[in-house]
Amino acid sequence: MNNYFIAIAILFLGGIICAFLPQKIKTSALSIFVTIASVFSIIPALSVIHHGENLTRVFNFNPILGEINFTIDPLSAFFIVVISIMSLASVIYSNGYLKPYMAKEKSLSSHLIFLPALIASMLLVVTCDNALMFLICWEIMSLSSFFLVIFESEKKETLKAGIKYLVFMHISVIFIIIAFALCALNAGSFDFSDFAQVLHNNQYLANIVFALAFVGFGTKAGFVPFHNWLPDAHPAAPSHVSAIMSGVMIKTGIYGILRVINLIGTPSKALAYSVLIISVISALYGVLYAITQHDLKRLLAYHSIENIGIIGIGIGAGMLGLAYGNNLVALLGFAGGILHILNHSIFKELLFLAAGSVYTKTHTRNIEILGGLIKSMPISAVLFLVGSVAICGLPPFNGFISEFLIYFGMLKGLTINSFFALTVIMFSIAGLALVGTMAILCFTKAFSIIFLGMPRSEAAEHVDSDTGASMILPMSFLAALTLLIGVFPQYVFAFLIQPTSVLTGVHITLSTEPVEIMHQIAIIALVFLVVCAGICIMRIKLNNQKIEMHQTWGCGYDRPNNRMQYSASSYANPFLTMLRPLFKKVYDIEKPKKLFPTSAHFSLHIDDIEEAYLINPLVKFDEWFLSKFEKIQSGNMQDYIKYGLIFLILLLAGCFIG
Amino acid sequence: MTTIILNLIILAIIPFLMIGVIKKTKAFWGGRKGVSVWQPLYDFVKLLKKDFVISKTTSNVFRLAPSIVICSTITAAMFVPMLYGKAIINIQAGFIIFAYILGLGKFFALISAMDTGSSFEGMGASREASFTSIVEPAFFMIMASIMVLSGNFSFESLTKVLDSAGSYGFLIIIFAVIALFLMILIEGSRVPVDDPTTHLELTMIHEVMILDNSASDLALYTWGNSIKMFLISSLIANLVIPSTLGTFDALLAYLATILIISLAIGTVESAMARIRMTHVFEFVFIMSSFALIILSLVIARMFGG
Repeated sequence: MNNYFIAIAILFLGGIICAFLPQKIKTSALSIFVTIASVFSIIPALSVIHHGENLTRVFNFNPILGEINFTIDPLSAFFIVVISIMSLASVIYSNGYLKPYMAKEKSLSSHLIFLPALIASMLLVVTCDNALMFLICWEIMSLSSFFLVIFESEKKETLKAGIKYLVFMHISVIFIIIAFALCALNAGSFDFSDFAQVLHNNQYLANIVFALAFVGFGTKAGFVPFHNWLPDAHPAAPSHVSAIMSGVMIKTGIYGILRVINLIGTPSKALAYSVLIISVISALYGVLYAITQHDLKRLLAYHSIENIGIIGIGIGAGMLGLAYGNNLVALLGFAGGILHILNHSIFKELLFLAAGSVYTKTHTRNIEILGGLIKSMPISAVLFLVGSVAICGLPPFNGFISEFLIYFGMLKGLTINSFFALTVIMFSIAGLALVGTMAILCFTKAFSIIFLGMPRSEAAEHVDSDTGASMILPMSFLAALTLLIGVFPQYVFAFLIQPTSVLTGVHITLSTEPVEIMHQIAIIALVFLVVCAGICIMRIKLNNQKIEMHQTWGCGYDRPNNRMQYSASSYANPFLTMLRPLFKKVYDIEKPKKLFPTSAHFSLHIDDIEEAYLINPLVKFDEWFLSKFEKIQSGNMQDYIKYGLIFLILLLAGCFIG
Repeated sequence: MTTIILNLIILAIIPFLMIGVIKKTKAFWGGRKGVSVWQPLYDFVKLLKKDFVISKTTSNVFRLAPSIVICSTITAAMFVPMLYGKAIINIQAGFIIFAYILGLGKFFALISAMDTGSSFEGMGASREASFTSIVEPAFFMIMASIMVLSGNFSFESLTKVLDSAGSYGFLIIIFAVIALFLMILIEGSRVPVDDPTTHLELTMIHEVMILDNSASDLALYTWGNSIKMFLISSLIANLVIPSTLGTFDALLAYLATILIISLAIGTVESAMARIRMTHVFEFVFIMSSFALIILSLVIARMFGG
């Protein structure tokens, strides 16, 4: 446990030390600090998962907070591993990504203080055992990530996105505070262990607390309908920050939900069904809007919503298993959900980093004007392809393993002898299948429009080289992880048993079935990979036939140009036309006029239906309501003194009456 | 071991024969003599020997995709029960692995089409991706509904629907067969969803995706596509054939079912015209509605007293 706190100290101090170093070595110094800290934090985490024994340290913060426990149980340990590895990869990547900013003499000091602060606060959040301390760490996390988002604060939209994020986070934290306050009122202390006792005995309270916590933590995680900050904040932030936020930080919301489930013990059936249904809707909503996006990072942000939904489906299936007392379903559901947390952070971070590489080279996030980058940036292209295949949940990559576990858990859940369970789970299976195929639609679009075909603009045409080693290296590491988890799922599954048993309560004596299937999948994946690679190499190397290079077939037309290619909007159009009612389409059309038209353009923008019909009217109402009070703020000093006087009189009167 | 050899032999021959029979049937309804049923196999061998013509726009993705597509299709075939209801790999939830491995192949087929930078191929890819995304959920629902009856989620349990569902089994099988037949038409890109014979790019889906492929690449794509049709037919055969038949009867019944399916596809192609592209989604949704019917039948069987 000492190692763990050394890691936290290194992170907090390292950032401050970096601020005083010369501009050139700042980022490399930070990478060294974060590397050391990651090693120090992973060691205790791995030992907890290996031995299954909790580590605890009590700190005395008298007289304000009292005694506060920090505990690493297997669930926290799992999150510590995820946070450490993923943050390390992004921080190393930032060396290359921040180089152009260093050249521009932009001050990086504050950025480099908040980056390790974010990592440290995430590490603290997942080990904290006391509600008050938890909220403090939670707030450090939200604030430091806010400052990271507004890195390019000279841009107006970045600032706007940052403030939206800040507002969402503070609305969400209100729900968490209410949930914890309810528990604390009944338990008489702020310790999670005392909360657990109260929640175990009081089903009614447990339901309310869970619902409140789900709204609070769900906003952080990005469940629909609380997802609205995600698609704005991610594009605004620099790529390595989006990678940390999407890959790791939103998972602390999931951690919160899992911790509350852990405190409750056995959730009620209603809760389990609600989580499952909300998750399916989130997953579908996320991927649907991802298909509509042309901004690469917005697209990835919507995919985070989708994947949070998939994680939620796993958790929902696990909760159903707990509620109906079916241990196998609970094990498979939670194991799938937890593994998807790890998997999503790997491939989403990979994709965000690859998107960052594209951005540094082309200075645009609009995929409609990219194209043909596989020729100038081959390594980044392959890495993006690996990430795309993995995020679609296709074998032999890691996304498949977690989705398979979730599917298998749900199939086992079908045998729960209940009409309602059968119907809901059946539609969840169909929903998850739909999400998978829509993800294929979305990522074939993203990959092929960015990297394949011909360049669609000068920006894409004049890319001369791939990004530097400091950016390629962490991405390659993540890509290797996606493949390793996909090919050796049996070891990963064994790694998941301890964290899952925290949630399922009982230490499950493993039925051999899932383990056996994992072994079989491992063999199939390995053989498939070897044979497929063999055939690919053989067909290219041992090719006896002549190869003639020619123009792409254009019905006899010999001068095809880049404007004749299919665009991202047209690729998505048949599918989106079918689902018309779910969007708000905003057209910007200028039709060609006169005999020799001088100008014409067409652009289509698709608005988030929730933002257009729920958030914006709310904000408008709020503005209207608050404008009624404008008169109070007159700008007159005398008026303000008057207010102060009235307030004092009221206070005095209150004291006398009270 | 015998299962492996038997299934691989079937996989190498029957898909071509299916296409041959379909062509023969269409010739019959058209009043022509038609080519031999072995012609698709001859075409395949001939294509393997031809030289390549490859677009200048393409990258390695285009070169590698056919190999990946055929590998994933054959791997998916390992999970499907063929003769005597035996699959090479029989594991729980095999149908999920089956669908996802096919998905991997589809992913590469789509990006390879997009790699040529041709708007025709982009159009085909976009349609293919859209239609598949509706088929998959329905397929999962049908499989999960049927398998929940026996509580065994392996593909081979398809043969035992009648044993576990009694008289409901007949109804479930009828609807499942129709739904899977629709799936053959959609996934195999046959009329009325797609037209494999015409070369008018604007109305096609799958055929236009492989417009720039040549030689062995094209051969692998056509083989892969016919394997996909055969695999779904094989599922139908296993649903229909009772598990009590003797060795020789089962062999006959299996081949007869595949033959009937091929004849049916040929007849449908001769009798129907292609649907307008804007109405294809409605056709695809028929399969989803059948999935819902099967689900309700299963619910009726399990909770209907």
